[in-house]
Amino acid sequence: MILETFMADDKDVLRDVWFGRIPTSFTLNQDEVTEREAEPYYLLLPRVSYLTLVTDKVKKHFLKVMRAEDVEEMWFEYEGTPLKWHYPIGVLFDLHASNTVLPWSITVHFKNFPDSDLLHCPSSSVVEAHFMSSIKEADALKHKSQVVNDMQKKDHKQLWMGLQNDKFDQFWAMNRKLMEYPTEEGGFRYIPFRIYQTMSDRPFIQRLFRPVSPEGNVHTLGDLMKEMDPAALPNDGEPKRYQVVIHGIEPLLETPLQWLSEHLSHPDNFLHICVIPTPTD
Amino acid sequence: MNQPGLRASWPTRPAVLTDPAGVSERSGRVLAPGGGGRSAESWKKDIVRQLKHRDLSQHAMFQDLIRFYTQLLEKTSLAKGILSCSVRRPSSDSSSSVSSLLQRNNQLKKTTGELAYQVVELQQQIKIKECVLEEQHARLSEEERRLAGVLDARQELQERVGQVQEKNGALKMEYDVLLERQREAETRLREEKVKEGHLLEDMIHLKKQAAARMNSRNERRSRARQANLQKELQTAARSKVTVDSSSSAPTSRSTSPKKENHDPESTEKPHTRLFRSASATSPRILNSIRELFDRKRRGHSVCSLEEDLMCPVGICVSARVPVRARQALEAHEQGINAVRFSSSSDLLATGGTDRVIKLWEVRAGSLTHRATLEGSTEGVTCIDFNPTGLKILAASYDKSALLWQRDESVPKLTLTGHSRKVTAARFSSLPHQVVTGSADRTIRLWDLHRAACVQVADVPSYCSDLVCSENSIISGHYDCKIRVWDTRTVSCVQELPAQGKVTSLDISSDHRQLLSCCRDDCLQLVDLRRWSNDRMCFRAEGFKCGSDSTKAVISPDGCFLAAGSADGAVYIWNFSTGKLETRLPDQHSSSISAVSWSLSGEHVVSVDKRGLAVLWSDI
Repeated sequence: MILETFMADDKDVLRDVWFGRIPTSFTLNQDEVTEREAEPYYLLLPRVSYLTLVTDKVKKHFLKVMRAEDVEEMWFEYEGTPLKWHYPIGVLFDLHASNTVLPWSITVHFKNFPDSDLLHCPSSSVVEAHFMSSIKEADALKHKSQVVNDMQKKDHKQLWMGLQNDKFDQFWAMNRKLMEYPTEEGGFRYIPFRIYQTMSDRPFIQRLFRPVSPEGNVHTLGDLMKEMDPAALPNDGEPKRYQVVIHGIEPLLETPLQWLSEHLSHPDNFLHICVIPTPTD
Repeated sequence: MNQPGLRASWPTRPAVLTDPAGVSERSGRVLAPGGGGRSAESWKKDIVRQLKHRDLSQHAMFQDLIRFYTQLLEKTSLAKGILSCSVRRPSSDSSSSVSSLLQRNNQLKKTTGELAYQVVELQQQIKIKECVLEEQHARLSEEERRLAGVLDARQELQERVGQVQEKNGALKMEYDVLLERQREAETRLREEKVKEGHLLEDMIHLKKQAAARMNSRNERRSRARQANLQKELQTAARSKVTVDSSSSAPTSRSTSPKKENHDPESTEKPHTRLFRSASATSPRILNSIRELFDRKRRGHSVCSLEEDLMCPVGICVSARVPVRARQALEAHEQGINAVRFSSSSDLLATGGTDRVIKLWEVRAGSLTHRATLEGSTEGVTCIDFNPTGLKILAASYDKSALLWQRDESVPKLTLTGHSRKVTAARFSSLPHQVVTGSADRTIRLWDLHRAACVQVADVPSYCSDLVCSENSIISGHYDCKIRVWDTRTVSCVQELPAQGKVTSLDISSDHRQLLSCCRDDCLQLVDLRRWSNDRMCFRAEGFKCGSDSTKAVISPDGCFLAAGSADGAVYIWNFSTGKLETRLPDQHSSSISAVSWSLSGEHVVSVDKRGLAVLWSDI
């Protein structure tokens, strides 16, 4: 009975992670030249996808009020920060606007593309390439690339199509292979993760970390944070200064890292962890 | 710049609502960190709960709202689009704008009409397609039914096949059983046959043993008899006998050199010639010998050694030329071909076309019929008596020679082998041998014990007659030659020419002279001892050889020759003078075929083609 609830819980977690949504409002930048007034566009963005994949409707909406000659590559910005399309949407929200008022207000630009901050994304195949390379990198850490190399090209395509078309079953049919590990190991070889910090010059922290210690102890989230970003964890007695957020929630620090990697990873198989300052109000 | 008023109001409050809840929740949790003893379940449950809460606050709240907003946006944009279109038209004429509106309205109506028409068409097509589909379904179901039927039929046939196969199996088993039984029966049969063979062998063996025993017994008995005979003879020889001075002391002398392998104690052969009625020797000896013979005569044997050995040979002192006919007798119904006096002078044998041989006794100047010998299937060509007179040999047109015992009318032996008529059959000088000559150009020697031909000599020409002397066989042929054969080697040692076709041969009693009668009416006499070619030829006026088998004879004393002529008269020549001695006509009305002179010299018998036999004598 306990095992069944376990399993049911795991499935629920996977589904909830996949179908997570962020209500967003897209507002055209004031400086853009429009023929008439452009209404804002509202959209529920999937946490696990990428901006340029899911904003076709936004583009169509705003193109209605603009002339064709004024339209260049669309890019997004939140409170002055250009949003990197190659981060998952959920990560962008948790990092920049997690404790703010919903819906998330994104400003849409069609001019003055910031080449220094953002990558160009001319088509969805660019997104696909980025996505697949992340998967391969994750599997290199987990299985020394054995699993992903055993998969055929159509399997890779299935992963991408699952993400692009928002098909949970199609995606997980393939992805579960990437979540398997030999039982004698106790887990993956290394956990693929990235820790994002709001105030940092580094884009993210990514290092080798085993899920099980040499003595056989299971590593937890707390062990990881202690190792990678000890400042994120509160000292004894002090109030919490930082929040460790994954997918918009704060898992308990004793959560096993292996389980987190299996269930709370993004579709690109990485565990994206955001460390944000605790809201003070 | 252009900010629709929609933005401002509603989003914020829900955020405010959620936020403190979320914060309090989160802070609540932070205050109790690291509590020991939390199970795996708890952190997972915590995560699940958090996710649910997040979704509720972030997703669920805004979902409907955003959807309605988007729909509204679309509708307004559509309306705006229409309005803006109409606004963009050259607005010089409001009425024109109205008319254009009306036009647009009409256009729209037309398009809707067209669309409706298309809809109807498409619906019809759909209907047609549905019909076709139904038809195909129907056909498919029919086919399925047929298939089912066919499968049933197949099932049935398979069942029948199975039944037939079962029956076949049963039949085969029965057949196997029967085959087994048949084989057993066959093996038993074979065993029985083998047993039968063994039994036969045993039986034959036993019979052979019995026969051997019989033979040995017979031999012993014959030896005993011989010993007895010897003893008796010796005693008789040694006994004093009152005899004439002319007779010599009875001593045993061997007579014929050719009997060297047999008992030398044959009868004596006195120098003087015996008359039939007078005997110079002691009657006792002859009688006792005859008695011995009488006792020993056995009924069924073809020939016995004693018989052949002990045969008295009579010699004629002088023959008397016949003068008149004593008797003329219709001896046979058809023509008579052969006539012969037996060497013991008791009997006369005649034979001819009527296939029988009649035996006559000559007594007191007349012929009395004694017996008839039957058995030949065709006419008789030649008759011969054996030296004892007990056997009669005849050659026949039916390609065989027949042998009778004197007292039996059924032949003892039939010698077949020639392929054409047998013209002459004679007893050979060897005791149980017979020589036959035939028109098939062979001369055959027969063994009477085995009743089989022992030798065949091929001759170039038709053999018409033959005679036997001690070592040779002499045959006369149609090619005008007389051939002399050695008896042992059966090879021709000499050829004597004749005047014409040889019709008959006769040899004198001392075997010195050979008489041949030829078709050219000439009789030849050849001296055999000298082997010279001087021949005496005898002709006579009026003498004509009547046929190819006319027989001529030498008289027993060797002084006269007799032959029958075609004119029915008997001609008799004197040998020493070479001239015709006498002619006896008027008895035969047809050509005379044969003559015979009795051993005593008293009688001559002639026979003719009508069946008449005439007995001549000098009294």
